[in-house]
Amino acid sequence: MIEPFAVPFMGRALTEIALLALICGPVSVFVFVRRLSFVSDALTHTVFPGVVIGFVAGGIEGLFAGALVAGLLTAVVLTVLTRAARLTDDAATAVVLTAMFSIGVVLVSRRTSYTSDLTAFLFGRLLTVTPRQIAETAVLAAVILVALAIGARAWLFRAFDPAGAAAAGLRVGWLDLWLNVLLALVVVAAVRAVGTILVVALLVVPAAAARMITARPAVMALAGTGLVLVAGYAGLLLSWTASLRYGVALTSASAVVLMLVLAYLLLLPVRRWRDRSFAGGLT
Amino acid sequence: MILRAVVEVVLVGVLTGLIGVQVVVRRLSFFTMALTHATFPGVVAASIIGVNLLVGGVLTGAVVALGVAALTRRRGQDAAAATGVLVSGGFALGAALVATQSGFSRDLSSFLVGSILTVSRSDLAATVGVLAVVALVLAVCARPLLFAGFDPAGARAAGVRTGGWDVLLLLTIVLVVVTVVPAVGTILALSLIVAPAAAARLWSARLPVMTGLAVLFGVASGLAGLYVSAHWNVAAGASISLAATAVLTVSWTLRRLVRAVPA
Repeated sequence: MIEPFAVPFMGRALTEIALLALICGPVSVFVFVRRLSFVSDALTHTVFPGVVIGFVAGGIEGLFAGALVAGLLTAVVLTVLTRAARLTDDAATAVVLTAMFSIGVVLVSRRTSYTSDLTAFLFGRLLTVTPRQIAETAVLAAVILVALAIGARAWLFRAFDPAGAAAAGLRVGWLDLWLNVLLALVVVAAVRAVGTILVVALLVVPAAAARMITARPAVMALAGTGLVLVAGYAGLLLSWTASLRYGVALTSASAVVLMLVLAYLLLLPVRRWRDRSFAGGLT
Repeated sequence: MILRAVVEVVLVGVLTGLIGVQVVVRRLSFFTMALTHATFPGVVAASIIGVNLLVGGVLTGAVVALGVAALTRRRGQDAAAATGVLVSGGFALGAALVATQSGFSRDLSSFLVGSILTVSRSDLAATVGVLAVVALVLAVCARPLLFAGFDPAGARAAGVRTGGWDVLLLLTIVLVVVTVVPAVGTILALSLIVAPAAAARLWSARLPVMTGLAVLFGVASGLAGLYVSAHWNVAAGASISLAATAVLTVSWTLRRLVRAVPA
């Protein structure tokens, strides 16, 4: 069960996932309590035009900068649009998502073979993660964890009691903007290595699954990180075995996502049971 | 070929406009996004087994819709998260199924951005059929759907079974999504369902007027996008979706200007 990970590229893939697990455990808690799953999904799509423009302008080096600009732009636009009352927030998110993604598609469709670019963007290249990318992820992970440590209390306050937070002098609009920016950073850090699908799963599933076993945010964050580690290990192993033994070209990103979703489904009955015993205890 | 694409765009514009109003008013955009992804494995499985793709999509979509309805009855946080899990899980499962078949990978990107220029005669027939069914359902059930949507408590008190009507609406959305996605792709489907209806909502608060405007905007953005795509040689799905966004942006700006002028 260890020896596949002695191969350098498998070891690097696991390292990348472990780094992302550190960030995504805590960040997904905020995604869960603020109901930002759709925003996370939107961000993974809206960095696409940034990636394309960055690549055209500056080659491989430009990818990161382009994605960063597009991600931050989306964070700002989404925050502003969802605070304007005329458009409901889900419709605004959907429109921003489709519009930005379409810009990206228009840009790549001018080139001859764009389908392989699109596929790479969707599934990432987890198995070709370079030491340099791992270093980039590690730096962003440090930044994000520091930001989380500073903002966690305020964000939780705002999530559970918006009126109270505003009354206590917190600026709710800025808090929302910063949280969206943080999400954008996570997406940018992860999307090139692991692809959009895995990023959405990493941002949404850990806390949603951890919520089945606990209601305390700190415990949810830890459980989420643990879950990503286990699912990452199992998913990589699954995709390795599927490709080598059975000749099924299961991408490692989809395998990890499937493991995460499996964990979520397995934990569903736990929630049921907890709710029932809790209700029984109250009456 | 171009003629077929034009007909399909008009049909899809009408269909998405009709259902879009319900989606926007009931805030089901994320559910729609989830459906576009979650029906993907069903469609792939159907094509592997060799059954009609529409049937495979509708069956998985129905399972998903019922699952969402059951999972999300209790809490808002869980609802958003469960829908997010569906988005990523559904797509990953579909991609995994695709991976078991060799030489299938170009279908993945056509799933995303669609291939409206290669729409077939049977696709057209299916769209016409679904359009008739959806229009009929929405026309016949307009009143209870409206009642259950805007005032669930009042509807329940008046003896309307809101849960049943909600499920009916979700299933209608499933039907539309499954019909539209193969022709135009997931991104354009979401765009055409949400953007014209959101634009229409800016102009009117009355459901019939909103629906009429949404249909009009949907068809117009479809035709405009197709024209742009043919003339400047860019992806058709993407330019239609950008046209729909432009309609929304223009509506939004105009409304702001109109309101800024003291009436």
